[in-house]
Amino acid sequence: MGPRVALLVCLLLLALAGCGTADREDDATAVAQRFHAALERGDGQSACDALSEETASKLEQEEKKPCEQAIVSLDLPKGGTVADARVYMTSAFAQLAEGGTDFLDEGPEGWKVSAAGCEPTAPSQPYDCPLEN
Amino acid sequence: MRRFLRDNSMSIVFLALFLAALGGQAIAGHADFNDTAASHGDPTISLGRYVLSSDFGAAVMENWQSEYLQFTLFILLTVWLLQRGSPESKELDKAGLESDQAQQVGPYAQQNSPRWAKVGGIRRTIYENSLLIVMTTFWLGTWLAQSVTGAAQYNAEQLDHQQDPVSWSHYLTTGNFWSNTLQNWQSEFLAVGSMAILAVYLRQRGSPESKPVGAPHSATGVEG
Repeated sequence: MGPRVALLVCLLLLALAGCGTADREDDATAVAQRFHAALERGDGQSACDALSEETASKLEQEEKKPCEQAIVSLDLPKGGTVADARVYMTSAFAQLAEGGTDFLDEGPEGWKVSAAGCEPTAPSQPYDCPLEN
Repeated sequence: MRRFLRDNSMSIVFLALFLAALGGQAIAGHADFNDTAASHGDPTISLGRYVLSSDFGAAVMENWQSEYLQFTLFILLTVWLLQRGSPESKELDKAGLESDQAQQVGPYAQQNSPRWAKVGGIRRTIYENSLLIVMTTFWLGTWLAQSVTGAAQYNAEQLDHQQDPVSWSHYLTTGNFWSNTLQNWQSEFLAVGSMAILAVYLRQRGSPESKPVGAPHSATGVEG
């Protein structure tokens, strides 16, 4: 492979690793904020629409009621703003300024919340999440 | 055209093999990525999305960096290191940078020598080391690219497991980065070492990588 082509591909891959990340962080942030805003006004249906299928399904199985009824009874942050959002490939996390962290997955329908209201436990250990997949 | 193809057949064939293998890696890697995503209950992605992902980028870069490291070290160390009987080695009395006359530089340059081989000063120094400079640049560039794409891939898995992402500098201290780096390095060094020693005793008629079939095992630095 010619040296110039190899260098170009290398630089392109480096750029792509960060390219477009800001837009996707904004999208993930918007979904997380919409989710918590829906919880604040008691709109279970809108909150469930922001959940991933697996998470909504697991919630219904555990609570033994429809998602829109189960979700408003959980101890999750209501309202709030995202202070920090990071995107890596098809995974994202959004930390709320008021406390609590959401994890999101990107699918064909955009970002969906896969775990919400999570709190850190020990260093290098998974967060403890009242709602997760 | 026929002459061009014949005279450049080596680079043309290897470029074609490279492109075919890279395409195959993209297809296989995409299938593997989606298998893993499905087993985790995560969304799958398209092939186009996959080839732009850090997963594919890291897989490509970790292999490229080790290849360029292999050539960097091979080019550099064979200036001084010898292997009796190997066509990969210089003759036993020629270790080192050799004389200007042997290297055909400066006043010993020929009419059709490269321009910077005829001059002196910094230009000749750069040209004398140009192969090493470029290979080292590619090695470091692809290793950097491996670390950036690898960190993104690592952090995607962190988030998938509801764990905190790590910084790029922290990623450089992880077992994931060094395992991916060293698993490639060991195979490159093994390949060079194997070739150096096997070519002492084994032959491949017609290949410049082999000694002539009838050359003695002790003949060093000769090619068939």
